[in-house]
Amino acid sequence: MVRAMLTAEEIQILATSLGVAGRAVLFSLPIAIAFAWALSRPKFPGKWVVDAVAHLPLVLPPVLVGYFLLLLFGVRGPLGSWLRDAFGIQLAFTAEGAALATAVMAFPLMVRAIRLSFEATDRGLFEAAAVLRAGPWDRFWSMALPLAWPGVLAGAVTAFAAGLGEFGAVITFASNVEGQTQTLPLAIYSALQIPNGEETALRLAAISMTAAVTGLVLAELLQHWARRRLEA
Amino acid sequence: MSLKLREAVVRRGAFRLAADFETPTTGVTVVFGPSGAGKSMLLSTIAGLHRLETGRVEFNGAVMEDAGTKTRVGPHARGIGLVFQDARLFPHRTVRGNIAYAERRRPAARNAPIVVEIARRLEIEELLDRPVRNLSGGERSRVALARAIVSAPELLLLDEPFAALDGRRRRAFLALLRDLSREQSLPMMIVTHQVEEVAELADHVVAMRAGRVVGFGTAADVMQRPDFAALLDRRDLGARVDAAAVAGGQGGGVWIRADSVLLAAEEPRGISARNVWRGKVASIVREPDGAVLVSLGTDAGYISSRITPEALADLQLEEGATAWAVVKSHAL
Repeated sequence: MVRAMLTAEEIQILATSLGVAGRAVLFSLPIAIAFAWALSRPKFPGKWVVDAVAHLPLVLPPVLVGYFLLLLFGVRGPLGSWLRDAFGIQLAFTAEGAALATAVMAFPLMVRAIRLSFEATDRGLFEAAAVLRAGPWDRFWSMALPLAWPGVLAGAVTAFAAGLGEFGAVITFASNVEGQTQTLPLAIYSALQIPNGEETALRLAAISMTAAVTGLVLAELLQHWARRRLEA
Repeated sequence: MSLKLREAVVRRGAFRLAADFETPTTGVTVVFGPSGAGKSMLLSTIAGLHRLETGRVEFNGAVMEDAGTKTRVGPHARGIGLVFQDARLFPHRTVRGNIAYAERRRPAARNAPIVVEIARRLEIEELLDRPVRNLSGGERSRVALARAIVSAPELLLLDEPFAALDGRRRRAFLALLRDLSREQSLPMMIVTHQVEEVAELADHVVAMRAGRVVGFGTAADVMQRPDFAALLDRRDLGARVDAAAVAGGQGGGVWIRADSVLLAAEEPRGISARNVWRGKVASIVREPDGAVLVSLGTDAGYISSRITPEALADLQLEEGATAWAVVKSHAL
């Protein structure tokens, strides 16, 4: 059905977008969980630094984030040259790079949702686990994470939906290469740059909307289901 | 084998708990005191859920925590279990999942019943595959208790686990705790603010008031001290008598309220009461509202009775006089 409605190019663009957003979420989810966990803890020295780092992408212009990534992970950047020499990995101007840029931009969204979920869990349950011989790590895996599951899920899906639309950081760091780093918003932008591209742009916009709304509805459903399961 | 708190101080917000006592980790120790005395906080401190500001906690010869040397064994490594007043069942697991959580983390060397055995013993077999959200208060208490026992702690702390129960079911649960402690050779430390329950359950007592431990020792000893009586409501005043000395007595001891004891100046005959003790009047105390509290030294220990001043005048009792105390079994 999708094939009948979309052109081969559109399918290609959609696939690139889904791939980039999907990898972005996979990359950053574990790190977002770690940040969210740290931020949900009572005060510790340097907590404000962690908080600031987690929220930075939210307040910086996306182009600036892309530029920083280019400085760090560009072919001549300190991390970029090391990755290339040691592993033969290049991030700038690749789909992996687009995923990295998307991951950084979606990071605060994820941390926020997951942190709220951690904060909402009853700490009394951790104490109950502790006196049943569960150590700190054990409590994290057996209590904190499963109980925060709705928030983790919501954070991941929201970040995925938002990631489909990331523009500034991606175009700066990964550029706009057809078939590789050209995601939906980049394709819409390109279509608008050429004469008579408006129909193409409108079709892509519809696809983009559909994907984003589907993501949000899915997040809502998952969360609803997970909450019910956890009701005490 | 004992639990020792040495000049232990814990602070939570404005509340300060100070405890210095020792109690054997055998049988049942009851922590008693009016609400707000800090009983729950004492249990949490022993379990390792609060950090000591000063002092130390020793358990069966090992230092669990010492604020001076900054030694601290985490709550998961103390071998001390805790049943919370609000059960704290894990909402993302079934009843079976809750109990199995404890079973999986129990050291191999520790002996304890498996899930099915404890479920049968506590009559919660039918609940095993249910989610915990639909359980009644009594069922939650039982599941929490099963979970704690399966964990095979060396000492089990229970924070009013029967708070959700009333009357008969409460007494049945008490009897169950007493039996389980014996069957499983599991020392327990149980919080309550009901004086009858102290008498019935306790081998040892830790008495608390306003954030401090004010007395500790064997039940027979602590419960006859004036500072224990000071913790009681006027209506609860009375005396502990060994259960063995009482017709219809259950458990270790029985609390006989002064309000349910009749006094006779001559030996009563032809009456229905099953418990009649002969003794000598040890003290006569006038209470502020005019009632009189007479304490009688008997073979079963001291027994007190609250009577009116008119009754005292009729009986012509004075200290050293012989009298009989009469108690209906029903009042026990």
